[in-house]
Amino acid sequence: MSGSPPAGRALAPAHRLVLVVLALTTLLALAIAIAVSFGAAQVPLWQRLLGGAWSDAQQAILLALRLPRVLAAAALGGLLGVAGVAFQALLRNPLADPYVLGVSGGASLGGVVALLAGAAGLGVPVAAFAGALASLIAIERIATSGGRLTVFTLLLTGAIFNAFSAALIYFLQSVASREELSAIVFYLMGRVPSAGLSTLAALWGAGVAITLALFASARDFNALTAGEEGAQQLGVDVERLKRRTFVLGSLATALAVATAGLIGFVGLVVPHILRRLLGPDHRLLLPAAFLGGASFLVLADLAARTLAAPTELPVGVVTALLGGPFFLLLLRRSGPASGEGAGYGARDV
Amino acid sequence: MTTRRPAPLVGRFAALGLLACWACGTPPQPRAAGGERIAVMAPSAAETLVELGVADRIVAVGDFVDWPPEIARLPKIGAYDAPNAERLVELGVTQLFTAASQAGRGEHSKLERLGIRVVALDTSTFAGTLASMAECGRAVGRVPEADALLATIEARIQAVRARAAAAPRRRVLVAVGHDPVYVAGPGSHLDTLVTLAGGENVAHDALSPYQMMALEAVLERAPEVIVDSADNKPGSPHGLAAGIWGRWPFLPAVAGGRVAFVDPWRLLVPGPRLAEMAELMGRLVHPELFGEPQPEDFAGAPRGGGEE
Repeated sequence: MSGSPPAGRALAPAHRLVLVVLALTTLLALAIAIAVSFGAAQVPLWQRLLGGAWSDAQQAILLALRLPRVLAAAALGGLLGVAGVAFQALLRNPLADPYVLGVSGGASLGGVVALLAGAAGLGVPVAAFAGALASLIAIERIATSGGRLTVFTLLLTGAIFNAFSAALIYFLQSVASREELSAIVFYLMGRVPSAGLSTLAALWGAGVAITLALFASARDFNALTAGEEGAQQLGVDVERLKRRTFVLGSLATALAVATAGLIGFVGLVVPHILRRLLGPDHRLLLPAAFLGGASFLVLADLAARTLAAPTELPVGVVTALLGGPFFLLLLRRSGPASGEGAGYGARDV
Repeated sequence: MTTRRPAPLVGRFAALGLLACWACGTPPQPRAAGGERIAVMAPSAAETLVELGVADRIVAVGDFVDWPPEIARLPKIGAYDAPNAERLVELGVTQLFTAASQAGRGEHSKLERLGIRVVALDTSTFAGTLASMAECGRAVGRVPEADALLATIEARIQAVRARAAAAPRRRVLVAVGHDPVYVAGPGSHLDTLVTLAGGENVAHDALSPYQMMALEAVLERAPEVIVDSADNKPGSPHGLAAGIWGRWPFLPAVAGGRVAFVDPWRLLVPGPRLAEMAELMGRLVHPELFGEPQPEDFAGAPRGGGEE
């Protein structure tokens, strides 16, 4: 298939995987190093490494604010990237992103209700995660008929869940006080938090675990590109695959939205960019989406933190402004995808 | 900025239910004197009008107006600068005092066509607040009263400025929101108050009167005084205490015990109380000149005015 990259002919899949993971890990490490070096405040990071000293304020800026935020951005970007690949494979639809299946609506609604109830600290993300889990279960029940999860019904149910949550949130906004309203707007706008250790551990742990779990189904995703019947003929338990993908992708989305609100574009554009660069093989795409999504959000959040310092831009603005043009450029240079569905999986399993 | 705590969620749903009920519309209040029937949306204009002695003409207020007590219980007609036009007509309103805004303009010309004269006031800056008090005086035919009010305010403010003139400038952060940190920047009345009370606003380079500020920048700028007026939730702490800022013990304001949690009502509604605000800011920034702040300096509106 014409979507296969040239390197595929020269290297065995395992070698390509090692190469891609190494390259993207280096990219992520570089992105993190750059991101902790800059911020609204000046911290002479490299002087310290050469034996200089920091003030208490500089130490707090770096260790309590900046580093946790950069690490959170990496995990969040990874979760969104992986969820994007998973949902695009599941729905065999180029427009799928982590928010399309309704779980983000439930998460936002949970978070907004918690904000209005006066929750503080971890109360809001925990409520948002609970809202996401509740909607995950509800959507799965509704979209299942006769023991089968129909992709078409799943997509529609997700869209309706999102619209319904949005309507409820608008309603809550209209009866909220002025302070509550601004809290809600900030929450929904999406912002990478300077997360605490437990949140960082949860995000990274889940990010790596979900990526590995989906990676275990990478061959099945490749088979699914040929359609559900085609995959079935190749011996894939399609029902199990769909359910697993929906649950794992939704969990990744739930965690991301609960901690950081709705950060758009990462889960849509990163999978597409990587597919253009690496080809459609999910054995490469899934780990690459975690590492690539992580690097992308780390750099986008760096821009959000520094471009308008001492104030901050919403990171979603940056992800869209960076990701949109870059993706279009890539689309122009490499030409249109080779036929229907070509980007969303490999037929040559 | 409103200073009362929001009604609980359940209460608000109940209120919506009541609104939906056709039979329970409030009949027009027989309050108006001197012809005009005034509705006032902006808390700051409400205080000015009452100060000018026209409280008896006011027949309706915006949702966020809960002070002074004389008018706090009048029928509520909507939030921000968007009054409910049907309610205005029903209550026989002839004059509407509201905040000037781009969004409100179209709405305002519609109200003018209904025979309601709209007085749009800009209280987003210190100078605008003073000008809007004069404008209120003209609009209700109380120019001498407005002039006298302004003269008193300006004299008291001048006294604060004079006393602080020779004092060393202290770096001051005025927080009006916590998560993310929102600060008062140049152009806000709070920025002017800080400057005239002998302080230097650490958010001097903010791009707008109220802006989000990265916590990194707050820590780097090391404020010596933090005035925290962000929280009006019930049970929120008032007074001199490190509070949430205690997480950063190296901040001069925290180390020196100069973090003040002040109820938003004390500082955030620019209007006739500007002079009191200037004096309070003096006690917060330079207690050695103006005296230590007293417990009532931090508390919300007295006598629970407007509490339902």
